[in-house]
Amino acid sequence: MSELHKEIKKMIIDCLDLEDIDVEDINDDSPLFVEGLGLDSIDALEIGLMLQKKYGIKLESDSEATRQYFASVNSLVALVSSNRVN
Amino acid sequence: MGDTGRLTALSNWMTVPAEHPVACQVAETVTALDFKHRVKEWVDFLSTQEGSRWAVYHDDSVEFLAIVFALWQLGKTACVPGDNLPSTVERLKNCVAGYIGHFPAGLVLEDTPYVEQKSVAGVSWAVVERDYPALEIYTSGSTGEPKPIIKTLAQLELEIETLEAQWPSRQNCLILSTVSHQHFYGMIFRLLWPLSVGQPFLRFSCEYIEDVFYAAQSHASYALISSPSHLARIKTVVDWHKLKGECCYVISSAAPLSLEDSINTAVSLKTCVREIYGSSETGAIAWRAQNELGVDALWQALPKVRVSASPEGALVVSAPYLASSAAMTLSDLVELSPNKKFKLNGRIDKIVKVEGKRVSLVAIERLLQKSDWIKAVKALVLNRKRIETAVVVLLTELGERHFQTIGKKVFINSLREQLLDHFELVVIPRRWRFVEQMPYNPQGKLPMGVLEKLFDKQLVKWPTIENSEIAPSSVVLKCYVPTDLMYFDGHFDDFPILPGVVQTYWAEKFGRDMLSVDGCFKRLEAVKFVSIIHPDSRFSLTLEYNKVKKVLLFKYESESELSSSGRICFE
Repeated sequence: MSELHKEIKKMIIDCLDLEDIDVEDINDDSPLFVEGLGLDSIDALEIGLMLQKKYGIKLESDSEATRQYFASVNSLVALVSSNRVN
Repeated sequence: MGDTGRLTALSNWMTVPAEHPVACQVAETVTALDFKHRVKEWVDFLSTQEGSRWAVYHDDSVEFLAIVFALWQLGKTACVPGDNLPSTVERLKNCVAGYIGHFPAGLVLEDTPYVEQKSVAGVSWAVVERDYPALEIYTSGSTGEPKPIIKTLAQLELEIETLEAQWPSRQNCLILSTVSHQHFYGMIFRLLWPLSVGQPFLRFSCEYIEDVFYAAQSHASYALISSPSHLARIKTVVDWHKLKGECCYVISSAAPLSLEDSINTAVSLKTCVREIYGSSETGAIAWRAQNELGVDALWQALPKVRVSASPEGALVVSAPYLASSAAMTLSDLVELSPNKKFKLNGRIDKIVKVEGKRVSLVAIERLLQKSDWIKAVKALVLNRKRIETAVVVLLTELGERHFQTIGKKVFINSLREQLLDHFELVVIPRRWRFVEQMPYNPQGKLPMGVLEKLFDKQLVKWPTIENSEIAPSSVVLKCYVPTDLMYFDGHFDDFPILPGVVQTYWAEKFGRDMLSVDGCFKRLEAVKFVSIIHPDSRFSLTLEYNKVKKVLLFKYESESELSSSGRICFE
């Protein structure tokens, strides 16, 4: 697990105030929503806000691209690191 | 209402003869004369006080009643909360002139010795106005904040008249009780009804069912005012057949009494068990007595109470002692039978909105209840970062075993999965609390405030100690700084840093805990804050204690860089 993976998982847990879940419980590539972590649409909004606040990433709500970024921790990591390079 | 038979109206009660019994305390009888003396003391005192609304809480039923009667004599309102907890005191702050009785700084009057008691023979007692708000009580708060309910003496008298018409009281039968008079059920059944008919009551509550046994021993006949939580234990604790006295009746209310507990109580005490259905808002509405196992008896409306069903199937009642002449719709589902009898079919579903989605908490409970891991469950809505549902769960033995074997996370997940088939993700409980006992209060209700407290966030006040090296007079702690440490809150919003005052506080605390530092904090010396400690970082804290000089040295370092240092002097 890279530092960024860890950072993003921690961000998800803190920002959503999740209980009974540790960084180690979140798989890099399993789905964040519905199955896997079991997050819902309101959590997606929260994570979107957090990405904007912490990394300055603005996402269009409800676009196909956004949906793909939110698929797993891996895809969020890819999003954040590509934005860092730019 | 005048005097009908032995019934004395509360508004005109002060005219009863002096020898009229009021209460018992072990073998002593408190007579109307004793009681009137006490009322007089309170009238004299309270007439010098400004303010028309007073909060009253007192463990002693006689003193409680004396205060209430004195307030009524003066045309003031007795505000009677169910408890005297700090939150209750705070809640009442803006709506009462002051607190009387067992409150922090509540007004109390010393008992006057008998010889000094002023004569009450010449006192002209007021006939109390029957239609002013004499009493204010509060809902239990099982569905949110407790709400005030106003009662006039006319309402109280009419309810008592109805009860007396249904069950004419028995002279000399002592009223024992396990329920508090601070709640409406207890106040009516244990104090005001007996007082109106000259039936003595025991001055103090029986906290345990065993206390009932001991209190009943010295009396030829007694009655018991109780609730399901006490009656559930009646069979196991004592041999009731050893009691020589006769139990005239048992009354149970506040929550549903199981058929089995009802029959057990009836057999143990060789008497009839009358269950009362009602609420603080309505007073007593209906009653029933179970008489055979396996068949739940129907509820029977009390005289002058009319029952019907709303289009949604909820129970609608009207009674002369309701606050308004309009019928009132309650939140229980009803199935009507002839002759004012009915069956109750559970609470009307409480539909709540969670992030815009409608969900029935009862449906969540019902579904979880189906699991053989779960003995009892209560669902609630929390309004935190978002609106979400949460559950408080009591496990069965089987559930307990699974919980131990598979661990909390997997356990919760498998219950969540069962819910996922029926509910949208948004409304599925996010927070689970497993309790050893559902937090019922003495009235057999689950107050919302207590349930919500189970979900309060524990404030993080300390660093996580990852390693410690302790020598006789020094210690080195390797620590992690959690991001949710309470001290980062507002210090500062965009740039959280560990405040210097917290660093000295931690040094002192760990010094006291690990190096037997004692004495009072005197001063700080040579304190330097060199670099900042951030959230989600690590530091090492070195403490050295000079016992002779009573000086504690502290040094915070992160990755060999000094963060802060200083000396704390004690005396």
